Order: sequence, then C-alpha cells, then structure tokens
Amino acid sequence: MTPARQGGPLFRLALRLLPRRLREEHGAEMTELYRARLERATGAVARARARIRGVADIVATALATRAGRRSAADGFTGRRRGGGWTMDATLQELRQTVRNLARSPGFTLGAVALLAIGIGVNTTVFTVVDALLFRPPPWDEAERVVHIYQHSDEGEPSSTSFPAYRDMAEIDLFESVGATVPWSARWERGDERIEVDVEYATSTLLDVLGLAPDRGRWFEPALDRPGAGFAAVVSFPTWVSRFGADPDVVGSTVVLNGEAVTIVGVGPRTLPSSFPPFVTDFWLSISSTPLGGQFMVDNLERRADHWYDVRARLAPGATVAQASAAMEALAARLAADFPEFNEGRDISVFAADDIRTHPTSDGDLFAAGTLLAAVVGVILLLACANLANLLLVRGLGRAGEMAVRRALGAGRTRVARLFLFEALILSVIGGGLGVLLTAWAVRLIPTLPPPGVFPGLLELHLDGRVLVWALTLVVATGLLFGVAPALRAARTDLSGTLRDEGRTSSLGRGTARMRNALLAIQVAASLVLVLGTGLLVRSLAATSAADPGIAVDRLAWIRTDLAAVAESPEERRILLDQLRERLAALPGVEGVAATSRLPAQFGGSTTTEVEDYSPPSGTGATELDFAVVDDGYFAAAGLDLLAGRGFGPDDVADGPTAIVINETAARNFWGEVEVVGRRMRGQGSENWTRTVVGVVSDAPVSTLSEDVPPAFYFSERQLGGIAAPYLIVRTADEPATVLPSLRAALAEARPALSADGLGTLADHFGSTLAGPRLATLLVGAFSLLAAVLAGLGIYGIVSFGVARRTSELGIRMALGAGRGRVVRMVLRDVWGMVFWGLLAGLAAAAIVAPRVAALLYGVNGGDPLAFGGAIVFIVAVAAFAAWLPARRAASADPAAALRGS
Amino acid sequence: MSPSADPRSLPLRPAVFHILLALAGEDLHGLGIADEVERTSAGALELGPGTLYRTLAELLDHGLTEVRAEHPEGADPRRKYYRITDEGRAVVGAEARRLAEVVDEARARRVLPRTSG
Repeated sequence: MTPARQGGPLFRLALRLLPRRLREEHGAEMTELYRARLERATGAVARARARIRGVADIVATALATRAGRRSAADGFTGRRRGGGWTMDATLQELRQTVRNLARSPGFTLGAVALLAIGIGVNTTVFTVVDALLFRPPPWDEAERVVHIYQHSDEGEPSSTSFPAYRDMAEIDLFESVGATVPWSARWERGDERIEVDVEYATSTLLDVLGLAPDRGRWFEPALDRPGAGFAAVVSFPTWVSRFGADPDVVGSTVVLNGEAVTIVGVGPRTLPSSFPPFVTDFWLSISSTPLGGQFMVDNLERRADHWYDVRARLAPGATVAQASAAMEALAARLAADFPEFNEGRDISVFAADDIRTHPTSDGDLFAAGTLLAAVVGVILLLACANLANLLLVRGLGRAGEMAVRRALGAGRTRVARLFLFEALILSVIGGGLGVLLTAWAVRLIPTLPPPGVFPGLLELHLDGRVLVWALTLVVATGLLFGVAPALRAARTDLSGTLRDEGRTSSLGRGTARMRNALLAIQVAASLVLVLGTGLLVRSLAATSAADPGIAVDRLAWIRTDLAAVAESPEERRILLDQLRERLAALPGVEGVAATSRLPAQFGGSTTTEVEDYSPPSGTGATELDFAVVDDGYFAAAGLDLLAGRGFGPDDVADGPTAIVINETAARNFWGEVEVVGRRMRGQGSENWTRTVVGVVSDAPVSTLSEDVPPAFYFSERQLGGIAAPYLIVRTADEPATVLPSLRAALAEARPALSADGLGTLADHFGSTLAGPRLATLLVGAFSLLAAVLAGLGIYGIVSFGVARRTSELGIRMALGAGRGRVVRMVLRDVWGMVFWGLLAGLAAAAIVAPRVAALLYGVNGGDPLAFGGAIVFIVAVAAFAAWLPARRAASADPAAALRGS
Repeated sequence: MSPSADPRSLPLRPAVFHILLALAGEDLHGLGIADEVERTSAGALELGPGTLYRTLAELLDHGLTEVRAEHPEGADPRRKYYRITDEGRAVVGAEARRLAEVVDEARARRVLPRTSG
C-alpha cells in the first residue's frame, strides 16, 4: 500500500471523527504531517507503525476533544477511582486503549488482519448466499405469484410446452400467465460479435410480476405471434453497462443473429432477469423467435418439447391450493387429449416465495450455500479462538500493570472493561476493513464466474442487511474473544501478581481447560477443512485423468456460421465440403469432421420412445441427448465402432432415418451392444422411424462426468446439414499449433466467414472444469487459512506453557534432565489436545465427507489418501508449531531460568 | 471545539511547552514544529498529527501563537506558518524558569551532578 494522496482510507476515516471546525482548519495540515512521517519511515514495519500511530493519534484526539479533556499526549493521569461508568471515564479508557494498541503494532496488525479476513470473508459469502437464497423476489405482491411446472419424463417439476402454456392462460383463477425461455444470441456491434444472454418472453410477463419497464414499454400482445416483427427490451444492468445508460436507446436497433431488432424499452430496475440475481441482456418478444431458427418457431406449436418457464399471478382471492387443483384437472385433460405427449405427466404449482431458481436445483443451491457459509463461519470462529488466546497471553504479560491499576483503586469491572474495549476496538477496525474487503469482492465476483458456472452475471449489492450482518459479526466477535481475557483480568490476584510481576501467574483450572478445548476445536475444524480440500483435489485429479474415450490430445476445433454466407441447405453443403477439403490439406492435419456440438457441451435433447424398453418414469418416453455429425466424425474423434457401421453415402435425406447410439444406450435399453436393427421414435410419432445402424464407444455428452448418459447421433445428410458446425481437426502432434492456419483457411475459403470460436479440445475440457477448480481453490485457501490458524493457536499455547514453567524447567535441567526430556515434557501438554482434536475431527469428517463426496466426481467419502493426507498435514503443522517454543525452552540457560523465578 | 483546560496554566503540558519552545526560535510550519519538538525532547515526544494541531488550535485560541500573514523568503506558499506571540514567549519563559528551579533542586539533592554537562 503506498501512501495515498490523501493519506489513505483509514486516516481519512479517522479524520471524520474530529470535530468539524478542527478538521476544516487543520485537516489538510494533519494529512501532510502524517504523509511526511510515512515517507520518512524506512521499511514495511516502520511504515506500518507510523500508519497505526498516526491514525491512533487522530482517534485519541477526537475522543479527547469531544470529551473536552486535555490533549491526548498528556495521557492517563490515573486520578480516577473505581469503576463508575461515566462518559468521561469511558472516553479516557478508550483513549488509553487506543494508545496501548498503538504501542504494540505487531499484535494490533496481526489481530486486525485476522479479523478483517474473517469478517470480510463472512460478509462476502453472506452477500452471495443472501442474493442466491434469501432475498425476497423483487416483485409486486410476490405472494400472489406462482410457478407452474409440467413434469419431466422422470416425474420431476420441469419446464412447459408452449401450447400447454396457452392452455394455462385460459384458466380463470389466474389474473395473468407469462412464459419465458432463456437462450443465447450473437450481438453484432460494429466489428465485434458478442455472445449475449437473452430470454424470449410473452407480453404478459411484467403483468405477472407486477412491474413496469424503467423506460419505454414492454411487448404488446400483438408481439406474441411470429410474423409481427422483431422487438427487444434491454435489461437495466445491460442498459447501464453496455449502453452507458443512454436515454435514446428506446427506438434504436441492435443486430442479433444477423437481424435488426428494435429496442422498445428498458427493463424494470429491480429485475436483472427473470431469475435474479442472474442477469439477462435482452428480453425478446415471442414474435422474435425466428432469430433462434425455424425449430424455435415450430416449437411454439409442439407439445413434445418443454422449454418454457411459466409463472402466473393469482386472481384476487384465489389460492395456491385452488391453482394446484385446476392444474391437476388440466393435466388429466391433456393426458386424455394428447396421450402420446402427456400420459402420466403431472403439472404442479409452487408459491413463488418457496422457489429461488427451480424446485430441482434449489436443494443443491441451498446445500452449497449453507456448506460455504458453514466453512467461513468456522474460519471466523477459529480466528476468534486464536485472538482470545493472544489476548489471554497478552493479558498475562500485563498482569503486573493490572495489579498496579487495582492497587490504585481501579475496580474489577474497570480493569475488565479495558480488555473488553481492546477487543471491541480491534473488532471494529477489523470489521471496517472487512466491509471494505467485501465491497471490493462484491465488485470482483461477477467478473469471476467462469462461463458455465453461472448462466449470466450475478448482480450483487452491499445493502443494509449485509451491513447489519457485518455489525453483528463485529460485536459478536469482539465479545467472543474479549470476554475470557476480561474475566481473567478482573480475577487477577493482587498480592501474588505484584510480588512476581506476572511471570508465574497461575492459570486457573477453568481457564486452562477452556484453552485446551479451544485448541482441540481448532485442530478438529482444520482437519475437516483440509480433508474437504483433499477430496476436491482428488476429484479434480480424477476428472482430469479420466479417460474421456476420445482423442483429446490430438483434436482442435473451429466453429463458423455457414448461414451467414450461404442461404440454402444445398449451398451450405457445398461450402462445408470446400471447408473440409481446405482444412484436410493443411500441414499436420490428419482428419477433419463436422458436428453440431462438441463432446462435454450442452446441446440438443429429444423426448424419445425406445422399442422394447419401458423407462422408469412411466411416461413411456425418455429424454435423450443427440448430436448431428458427418460421415468422418467417429474416426476423427477416435470413437471405436463396437457394432454395425458408421454413417455413409447410403444415409440419404429421404431414406429411413439411421442412428448410431453410444454403448451406454445399447446396454441400458437392450442389455447388449449387438443391437443393430433396433428402433426408436420421437414421442408422438406413429411409426418406429429411427433405426440403429451402429454402436460406438462412450464419449462425454453434456459434461465431463463419471457416468456417460445414453445418447445417439444423427447423420447430417439426413437432417439437411448443420448450419453452424463445429469442425473438429485431428492433428499429427500438438493441436494448438494448427489454430492460426485454421482461421486463415476459413478466411481464404470465404472472406465473409468468421470463426465464432476455436481452440483445442483439451482446453475445452479444461474450461468445463473451471467451476470445480474455482471451488477447489476457494476451499483450499480457506482450509490453508484454518490450518495456519490452528498452527498459531498451538504455537501460542505451547509458548505460553513454556513461559509459565521456565523456572520449573530450569530446576529440572539444573538437576540433570536432558534436553530431549524437557522438550518431551513441554509437548506432553499439547499432544493430548491434538489427539482429542484429531479424534473429534475424524468423527465430524465421517459425517461430512460422504456428503461432500456425493457432490464430487470420482471420489468416495472414505478416500484413504485424502484422509491420510489431511491427518499427516495437521499433525505436521501441529508438530512444527509446538516444536519451536519447546526447543527454545530446552536451549534456555538453566541458571537464568532459576534467577528468573 | 469544546473548551478545554487553559493552556497557560503552569506547569505547562509537555506538548504546549515544546511547541512554544520550538516557535521561540523561529517561525515554523506544522511539520517543522513536529521535527523541532522531536529534537528538543530528544525523541521522547513524538507529536501525532491530531495532538499537534489540536494543541496549536488551542494556542491560537488563547493568543499564545498566531498564523503569519506573509510567508518567509523561499517558503512553500501553500503552507501555514506559525509565530509565537509576546504572551506565548512570556508563558514558555515562565515554564522554563520553573523547570530550571526544579533542576536546581535536583542538583541540591545530588540527583544530578553539580556541573551541567
């Protein structure tokens, strides 16, 4: 930290405490003097000391001036007696405390840093968890808003088909019903192309939520049908960040997916997206669905696809129970009218207050949020336990001073108050810094989430509730680590202390027990955290090392939008052939193929019926992921053909639909891989239209996960080509080296073609691991912090024990006890505690580990390596922390130790 | 600012005495005063920014010091220079005499060697 132009935030903050007149007349001069002192200080320690002294002096001056007392430099006169709780006495004590703290900058800095980190981390996590889980939805009369879900084939609440949404909108119990579907679009701004988050939404959405657009208007009912033109509403956060809050944005046009779209309004200020705190960039009217392609338009009439999230506002007087009954009736009617799509498919209704994201993901979100909150809460507890220890040790060092104060007539409560003040002042400063840390983190976090962790940016605010939370933490921590030393100080034995200057101050049994318990708790908590990190690291290693079933080290990819230059499917086919030829001719390239989606990428799925197979869901159909690929794909990607054949020239557009399935699908549906000739069909089809012609080995589908789900492949010949294909390129060696020539080959083929993305498959797999890596990094950092704290605690306790027994150890050594024996004696105090701590930690870990492991890939809750590693790590930290002071004790001069007693 | 104890009452507070002593030599700006006080007190008194200017404000209020209207030759024009008034000189002189008497007493009691080193 360099001295800021104005003397740094803390100093500025302190200046604000001064009476206005003094600040206005001399504030600038004070700052100048402070900065001059900082600039003169050489070295970090001297600078920190100058900083603390300057700030403490300003605070003490402010207290003194406001109390009308004499100058702070004249200090504590000791003329007051007793423990009277008067304003004057209190201010004087505060001053005294501030000066005491300034006198030991090392301790003060350490304590404040511990607290700032503890409180900052907690407040930050609270902000995130609060935004995700607890903040009430920002809607008008939110209690009247309900979510409506058609169920999936697995019988879980899921999204709804657009025709079913229209049916729901007919029901009288609802004042209005709205539907949205999140999607993405390509925004062309001048030369740059940005991938943006959009939501297609009905004209009724804002009526349902009871909100009004910030400016302009929302979509009119006429825009609920394709053919009425393209209209967008820009979300408020995007309007601010991308349009600089330009008031003329309404009426302007943006180019999305190559089409001009008119912006008719700016969304409500309180609605960053349909699912706060995430942020969508644009809402698009239903009439804009052609932007997403013909299938998006067709989907509006298809009962087989369930894409839309439906919310409704209850009519006045209507209840959630009535709505549920009405939806059950609707589900029964749909099952009767459209058995092929809706047999066994329920519809459920939830009050909006009970749902944060979605019934199926809320549980995970809640688990992750509470886990994170628990972890950082433990960190703060550890920090407090340590500070209590530090203050206890410090208090023993000051036992003499306290006894003198008592002798001069300071009451017990007054002495105890000095300690409490010390703790409170430390926690107030630490809390202030912690809030600053949070303010910084809250701005940083939305820029962090790697793509795929969060769909859209998070909107986070430091609001009053968070500040109240921080204040609560400050007071709670202050009391937590101030009470024990304060009580101890109040009990200080007068005569004994004055005699021996506190060096052999006896530690009450209760205090000793409490310290030991604190230590055991620290060991236990850090063991659990370190174990958690171990499990995460093991899971990451397993994920990275897992055989993806695909030639991941030899593949590069490039994506382009053929539709940008070629209108008809025929033109696109010719262009794709040209591209394949060009790329295949590049040096170092062994094979080229096209696909509609990369492995481990979210993409299309379709509700499918499988011949001779009844899915457990009871709807008779199952949701299957698919990809559209060309003839060369399996060979280029390195998939093995296990049965039948791959795609070839025989698979023509008007012939029977051929599909190739993965090994999991073959085994799940029919129990073997020799399944050529078996059939499937889209839900609602009359005939078994899709025939299996081949089975290939498994490769990742949507994610890199342990269990590859069943999936199948279409031939691009039979589906009219791929409009925006991923071209995968198999290379002879390192795939990254061919990337520039891929881009160049694209531009040579057609100057108007641009690469919408390119990279190596290894990097693509790596980026799908970004979320787990971030989690590992976070938990790793926290557990390291916890281990360091536990180490500090152990160090403190052993040092303290050694200091207390200096004379006893001296006598023993004088009588001939060897060094080894002395070290052993000192350590004996600690090892018992470490042992019990480890035992408690293992017991807790046995409960926690399986739960954590359930969220992870490729590890089980009893992973011996993670457990062993965690135990070894904690024992090593403990041993090192205990060995330092023990060694010091053993190398002390026995004669000096004896004199000291 | 709330009223505080009169800075003129003897014995002077250490901060008052040393600030007046520093200004008795020459007119100084705040940083100069702080450096001079540190020097004359042999490092025993390091005035923090709050203490220094609060005391200075008191001294200004009681007419023991004043702010110079014009700047000394070659001085930084943005800085305020402080000057001791006649009353300030009288007060710091009185305190110095009091301290001298105390030192004499100390010598008489053999607390200090008879010759000043």
